[in-house]
Amino acid sequence: MSASDRAVRETFVKLADTLVDEFDVIDFLDMLANRTVELLEVSACGVILFDHHETLNLVAASSDKARVLELFQLQHVEGPCLECHRTGETIRCEDLAHADTRWPRFAPAARAAGFGSVDAVPMRLRDEVVGAMNLFSASTGPLTADTVELGRALADVATIGLLHERAVRRREVIAEQLQTALESRVLIEQAKGVLAERHQITVEKGFELMRACARRKGRKLVEVAGLVIEGRLTLDPS
Amino acid sequence: MSDNRIARVWTSIAACARREGAPVSLRHVCVACAAAVDAEGATITFSGGGNAVPGVLLSSRPSFDEVEELQVSLGEGPGVEAMRGLGPVLVDDLASLESSGRWPAFAPAAVALGVRAMFAFPIQTGAARIGVLNIYRSTNLPLLGSELADALAYASSALVMALDQRGGIIPDMDDPQNDASPHWRTEVHQATGMVSVQLGVGMADALASMRAYSYSNGRRLSDVAVDVVARRLRFEPDGPLATDSRDNETDRSAQTGTPREDEER
Repeated sequence: MSASDRAVRETFVKLADTLVDEFDVIDFLDMLANRTVELLEVSACGVILFDHHETLNLVAASSDKARVLELFQLQHVEGPCLECHRTGETIRCEDLAHADTRWPRFAPAARAAGFGSVDAVPMRLRDEVVGAMNLFSASTGPLTADTVELGRALADVATIGLLHERAVRRREVIAEQLQTALESRVLIEQAKGVLAERHQITVEKGFELMRACARRKGRKLVEVAGLVIEGRLTLDPS
Repeated sequence: MSDNRIARVWTSIAACARREGAPVSLRHVCVACAAAVDAEGATITFSGGGNAVPGVLLSSRPSFDEVEELQVSLGEGPGVEAMRGLGPVLVDDLASLESSGRWPAFAPAAVALGVRAMFAFPIQTGAARIGVLNIYRSTNLPLLGSELADALAYASSALVMALDQRGGIIPDMDDPQNDASPHWRTEVHQATGMVSVQLGVGMADALASMRAYSYSNGRRLSDVAVDVVARRLRFEPDGPLATDSRDNETDRSAQTGTPREDEER
C-alpha cells in the first residue's frame, strides 16, 4: 500500500489518544487532515460538514489551505463534495482534464490550482451522510484499493471524532454536536479576524498564534478563540 | 436546493405577519416556528450584553412567557444552557430522571406548567450572539429530522432579522437571495472579527454593520467581507479613513459609521 503500515498504526494510536473526554475537535480534525495527506500521499485534504441548509462547511484542512480554499467554496455550486452529499457514495475523478462537462467551474479551477485528480469520501453516520473528506492529488489516475480503504477508515475516524462520543445514542446528541462543531469553526474564524486587525497580521498568522497558545496551555482552540474575542487574552505576534 | 428550506421558512414568517396585518417581527418567527414544528409554543429570549442574563422575550403565546421567566429567575434550563454554549440543547422529556438531575428546580416546575419537551436553539453565529429560540411541546416527543432542520432554519432567520433590525434594514421577506440564509463563507466570519476591532463593538454589531453596508450598497455580504479581509475596505466609528490604517490615521472625513473603500495600492 502507498502508506506504510507503521505510519498508519501510529496515526490511529495518536487519534485514539486524542479521543479522550476533553479534546479539541477542530484541532483534532486539522491534525487528521494533515495526517491524511501524509498517509494517502495526496496533496491536500479538507474535512467538510453539511449543515441544515445542506451547504458545505469546511471545518478543517491540511496545511496548504490557501491554495484549496477557493475550491471548497466553489463546491457550494458543483463538485465532488456536493455529489458525495447527494449520492452518499465516494466520488472519484481520476483525471480532472476530462471533467469540464461534469463540473464546468470546479474542474478548471482545480487544475489551475495544480491538481490532477480529486476524491470525496463520505463521512457517514448510519444512514446519514454528515460530511465528506475531500482529497486533492497533483497526479492523475486511480487510487489503489488499499488507499481507498484507508481513506474510508480515516473518514470514519473523523466522524467519530466530530461526534465526540464513541457511542452516540440519540439523534439529538448528534444534532447538538454537529451544530456545536460548526459554531466552533465560526468562532475561530472571527477570532482570527480580531487578531488580524488588532496586530495587523494575516488571518493565517492569527490562527497560528491561537493554535500555539492552545497547545502551550493545554486548552481547546475554541476556548482560546473565545478569550481572544472577549479581549481577555492577548497574543503578541512578536 | 440549499435555499429551499430557508425560503419556505421566510415565506411562513411573512404569511404569519400578513395574517395579523402587522409588520414582520421576531414574534412572527416564534409563531411560524411553533406551527411548522408542531409545537405548542416558542419564545425568543435575548441575551443581555453578551453575557448569560436573558432579557426581553417574545412569545407565540403569553403562557409560555411564564416558563421562560422561570428559566431566567432560576438561572437553569435548556435555554440558559443554550445561551452559554455553542449548540442547541434538545430535551424530549423534561419529566425524565436525566432532566430532573440536570435542572433540579426548572424541570419539575416546567412540567407542572404543562411543558414536557423543550428545544433551545442559540440565535448566533460564532460569538455574534443574539439570544435563544425556545420551542415547547406538551408531549414528550423528540423533534424529527425535518422538524429539527426547520427549527435551525427559524433560528437562522431570527438571527438575520435581529441583525438587520440593529443595522436599520427592513428585511425584504420576498427576496430570500439577500444573503438571508446565513451559510456565510469563511471570509464573512473573519471580516466580522476585523470589523469588530475597527469599530470597537461586539461581533453581532460588527456583522450588523457589514450587512447594513452591503444592503445599502447593493452588494453581496460575502463580497464586502472579501474586501475587508483583503484590507480594501475598513469600517470606522468616527468616519471613514482615507488610507489604510497601516499608513496614517489622520485623514478622516465627517461622515459617521460609513466604511471607506481604499484605493488599490
